Amino acid sequence: MSTQETAREVADQAAEWATRIDAGAIDPHTNQSLQRWLEEDSRHRGALLRAEAALSFLDRGRALAGVVPKPARRPIWIRRKLLFAGLGLAAGIAGVAILMTAPHRYDTRVGEIRQVPLSDGSIVAINTQSAVEVAMHPDVREVTLTRGEAWFKVAHDKKRPFIVSAGRIRVRAVGTAFSVRRHDDGVDVQVTEGVVETWTVGEEARRVRVAAGSKAYVAEYEAPKAIQASADIERSLAWREGQIALEGETLDEAVAQFNRYNARKLVISDSLLAEEKLVGQFRATEPMTFAEAVATTLGASVTQEGDTIRLSRAARH
Amino acid sequence: MSGFPALVHRIVEGGSVLKAQVSAQSRKDIVAWVGSHVLPHEAAVRAWLRRWTGRAQDIDDVIQEAYSRLASLDSVAHIGSGRAYLFQTSRNIVLEQVRRSKIIRIDNVTDIGALSIVDEAPPLDRVVAGARELQRVEQLIDQLPLKCRRVFVLRRIHGVSQREIAGMFGISESAVEKLAMRGLKLILKAMEGDNTAKELEEDIDEHSRDRTRSR
Repeated sequence: MSTQETAREVADQAAEWATRIDAGAIDPHTNQSLQRWLEEDSRHRGALLRAEAALSFLDRGRALAGVVPKPARRPIWIRRKLLFAGLGLAAGIAGVAILMTAPHRYDTRVGEIRQVPLSDGSIVAINTQSAVEVAMHPDVREVTLTRGEAWFKVAHDKKRPFIVSAGRIRVRAVGTAFSVRRHDDGVDVQVTEGVVETWTVGEEARRVRVAAGSKAYVAEYEAPKAIQASADIERSLAWREGQIALEGETLDEAVAQFNRYNARKLVISDSLLAEEKLVGQFRATEPMTFAEAVATTLGASVTQEGDTIRLSRAARH
Repeated sequence: MSGFPALVHRIVEGGSVLKAQVSAQSRKDIVAWVGSHVLPHEAAVRAWLRRWTGRAQDIDDVIQEAYSRLASLDSVAHIGSGRAYLFQTSRNIVLEQVRRSKIIRIDNVTDIGALSIVDEAPPLDRVVAGARELQRVEQLIDQLPLKCRRVFVLRRIHGVSQREIAGMFGISESAVEKLAMRGLKLILKAMEGDNTAKELEEDIDEHSRDRTRSR
């Protein structure tokens, strides 16, 4: 690949040949060095066609000049449409700006992702099928993750620590951004900014600090273990924008992620297909879009039966 | 029963029948058709391909392959829309590449797959379309450096031969040829997208300064 001419080099050579042909300096049918050049590389023929087509396109300037008036301005309705789009956006922002102050519980359903601004200026993003309770006290900000996953962007306030409880596990932050995801027997803590401390109730002495760019798995009945640096954190938090980001996961793993967000479940009925590795970013709540993209790329077929979207290997055509 | 002209009947998707003449078109006709029906849409196809990849090199390769496929045709009479053809062919090339690779970049293939959206340019009446095209030609020529531009205007708009231009400028014919070549290279590059005059200038600077960058 490194010895091959780049597209640009080929285009430049083609421009030289096209100019010579156009000037009548060579006869394209008999010129041997042109024939040799054309046979050297299958791309050369296409590049020459393009270069000659460009000259032909420019010649249309001669044909068109003086025949047609200058184009009119852009029609008004397009600008109106843009204006309405702008108003809609403004209304959306105003909706988000309404702050919640009282202690409150937030539940999300399957596929729902909520961003909740808190009265102290912090922001909570709550993932699918999760529940979060928030209580703002004068001396502490208490958040309980009763199930699921949430990401916290914590407003800086040294006097009021921000503590997330998830079962027996605690995560404490001052001014920081991090996520907590509950599993059956523990939680994943991922830190995107600053530092958090995490511990298990009854094991307060054995605290562990997790810094930005790292994650830790904290088990219910063990002291927190290995802190791993992870390049993956931002990607695994793509859900905050309602996205699923794939970076070489198998189709099988990707489907498991989608099924977390949707009542319409994806099913793969071909084990080889399930092993295909994928890269990409999708809206978490659009499994059909994902399925269609898989079908297009992998030559699979998609069928729908009730709430099931089935992916299978299509007969090659 | 033997007097029927030689026609090929082709079943296309959807069941309609296309008639295509067997005889090959002249190369000149194909070049003119590509110039007026395909090339003007290249920038749109490239912009669309940018949703699939940010690597300019990959896009260049796809476009180049699309022209190579066009160049292998004996006739383009069966192609209804040059724009749709370029989109469709580029899409097929991308999908072929994507299917061959080990790890498949899939998200933007959603767009590539949803081709129907971009199949046709918004309908313009003939006069507006013609005016756009003329404007584009003017822009392309205007962006050229002075000497190239003069050669291009004389050669393309006024149809003056290279020999005559050489006489008018008092320079050798090969010097005119060099200017014409350089101009065409810049125009081919400009047709890839909405290159501003500034980018072109920078490009020219890069060439003339012998790769000594001043920035």
